[in-house]
Amino acid sequence: MAYTKKQLTEKTNAELRQMCKDLGITGMTKKRKEIIVDALMANQKADDKAKAAKASDTPQTVAPKKDTPKEKLTSMAYQMQSTLTKPSAKQGDKHTTTIMVSCGANSGSFPVADRSVGEVKSFLTEALNIPSFPNAVVNGKTVEDKHILKSGDTLEFLKPAGRKG
Amino acid sequence: MKVKEVKIIGLGGIGSILVNKLVRFVNHFSHSGSELGWEITLIDGDDFEVKNKERQEFLFLKNKAASKMDELNAIVSESIKYAIPEYITESNVSEAVREGDTILLCVDNHRTRKIISDYASTLNDVIIISGGNDYTDGNVQMFIRANGKSLTPSLTDYHPEIMNPPDRLPTEMSCEELANSDPQLFFANLTAATIMCWMIYKVATTPLEEVGFCESYFDIVSMAVNSVKRQPRS
Repeated sequence: MAYTKKQLTEKTNAELRQMCKDLGITGMTKKRKEIIVDALMANQKADDKAKAAKASDTPQTVAPKKDTPKEKLTSMAYQMQSTLTKPSAKQGDKHTTTIMVSCGANSGSFPVADRSVGEVKSFLTEALNIPSFPNAVVNGKTVEDKHILKSGDTLEFLKPAGRKG
Repeated sequence: MKVKEVKIIGLGGIGSILVNKLVRFVNHFSHSGSELGWEITLIDGDDFEVKNKERQEFLFLKNKAASKMDELNAIVSESIKYAIPEYITESNVSEAVREGDTILLCVDNHRTRKIISDYASTLNDVIIISGGNDYTDGNVQMFIRANGKSLTPSLTDYHPEIMNPPDRLPTEMSCEELANSDPQLFFANLTAATIMCWMIYKVATTPLEEVGFCESYFDIVSMAVNSVKRQPRS
């Protein structure tokens, strides 16, 4: 069943969390209502796209193609791509291109394969508290902003050491 | 019994907490059937001042190393072997850091971290565990050298701010500059000391080749700790 944003907003947090659980959307147990609603809407939209693609027999991929302009990754896209467009898919059939990104004590897995380090830095600056002009290290090697991430990479934005003691 | 030399360099907010816990751990360890004995040396050129009592744990108004030695030896007999009332500089680092040592570095400037890391890089077997903090966050690094090889990165490998330190040694600063230090949060000192304890336990109980993690970051505001593995660069 498709819901409008208004309909979802009228539901209780418990109902929304149960919906997320049923749809395989993870990480929502402590999120605010508006974030959960956004995630559900994104999931619904992605589901519609997947159905349309299936109907037209066109292969559907979540990761952006190299020759298409890359839209800025939003938190909604993160939720959507993390859970894939097919929440009911079996293990191994899910979209698994998340990359571990960290900066200091903050870290997370994000669907940023095929993105440049500069894009990821821009998107995650606030979420990971990335300092200005950080050195980026991919799989232990220092890289420039234009470096394109591949599935399986580990990206770390180096945080300066604490000075006092 | 094989004896391990453990030296705590810097007895400020982190070091003064760490040594209290370390003495108890060493006492516990030595009574748990371990074949490893520990000898603890304290090194700090600074005196304890009352203005720091909110963060630093001392009983006596005198040199910090001497004060802590008197205090802890009264609790656990001969737990502290030596107290050296000196700051570390290029000229005395070779006397302070020796083959086989485990150095617990709790200083408040990157210059000293660089001096010790650079010198340790010339040794065959040494472990440096270095903690530092800003107001609500910080990190602990672990630099392990074994059989002439770096198993983890040096303190400077992934930290250009330590490689090219912007600060000065305590011996180069005036009394006024030393007195005007940045405010610190006791909990940040405590967290850094606690993570240093985790690393001490790790190197005491795990083959060095299997330690893996080389640095842990903490952030009190986001209530997070993240440990990372990296390859040595030098």
